[in-house]
Amino acid sequence: MTSFRADPPEPDDETLRRVVAELRRPVPLGPGIDQRALAAIRAGRDQTASRPRRWWLGAAAAMAALAASLLLVVRHANPPAATGREREVVLRLVAPASSAVVVVGDFNDWSPVATPLQPTASGEWTVRLDLRPGRYRYTFLVDGREWKSDPAEPPAPDNDYGPPTSVLTVT
Amino acid sequence: MRLRPAFLAACLLLVGRGILSAQDRRITERLDPVTADAVQHLVDSARTAGLPAEPLVQKALEGSTLGAGGDRIRAAVSVLFAQLSRARAALGTSASDAEVTAAAGALRAGVPADTLQHLRALRSGRSLVVPISVLADLVAEGTPLDRAYQSVFDLARDGRPDDDFLALRRREVRQAVGAPDPADAQAPKPAPDPPAKP
Repeated sequence: MTSFRADPPEPDDETLRRVVAELRRPVPLGPGIDQRALAAIRAGRDQTASRPRRWWLGAAAAMAALAASLLLVVRHANPPAATGREREVVLRLVAPASSAVVVVGDFNDWSPVATPLQPTASGEWTVRLDLRPGRYRYTFLVDGREWKSDPAEPPAPDNDYGPPTSVLTVT
Repeated sequence: MRLRPAFLAACLLLVGRGILSAQDRRITERLDPVTADAVQHLVDSARTAGLPAEPLVQKALEGSTLGAGGDRIRAAVSVLFAQLSRARAALGTSASDAEVTAAAGALRAGVPADTLQHLRALRSGRSLVVPISVLADLVAEGTPLDRAYQSVFDLARDGRPDDDFLALRRREVRQAVGAPDPADAQAPKPAPDPPAKP
């Protein structure tokens, strides 16, 4: 099926004259137009003056966002803080001929100076730790040169680096 | 040209995130730069993926203290990252970081992922850290997987407390080395039957 579209009729000269005359006719503005225009201008100026206040509000929000980010940085940069749910654990190692024993593990960032054991008269070395419930891997360093696992706890299954390590489960 | 406050806040947040991803003094101070970068990348990836990141840091620090080279540390941390991912997939997004970490250790010990899923279903709503840890310990110490799982399964099914799982491990260890059970030694012995009357 074929469809046809009719073209719009061309405006004649008389119609054009009437349109132009209508466009040229002055628009009645009414009394007080000057006052209304000046009031509108003043209102716009007031809005412009209030922008710095919004700017400082935004800047304060931005600073708060930065502070929150930095807080997260500090949180992640440091070891997790201890909580009140800790449980006392005593680690022991019998090493009567040794002069120094330390323990390194997940609970002290594997620091060889953070957690020394204290000797007892029986030749046993002990240390008390406050640990949150969880699973900890650790090993003893005897006289600064010999690694020894804890005979009282199971060996860690993921012994990736050679020296023997133990695993402790705290409930 | 004026910067919109929201745009400025977004920029500062991005800067903060950049600082965040570049910061873990424990890593940067104790590892060589190449290893520190690699470990930090895995730590950031773990955080993005919802995996516990602290075990990765500890694995790297362990290597540093035990005198391992950078290659070995990077390999160990990568392996742990993969295990944590598998553990998270096995236990689901509701599992705690401690559970995922324990499950990663169990996978390393040879416990299958579907065994962890069975435990999850069996002990829904309670922590799996100790049951999974004891299962991993038993398997690591040489107990056959079927027997280890059955023992842990029985306790979990009965809703027993965590200390019972630890007691199970102690019993298994004593049994393995042939040592007597102190509980048996302290238990009152039954009185002998009275002599039969003639």
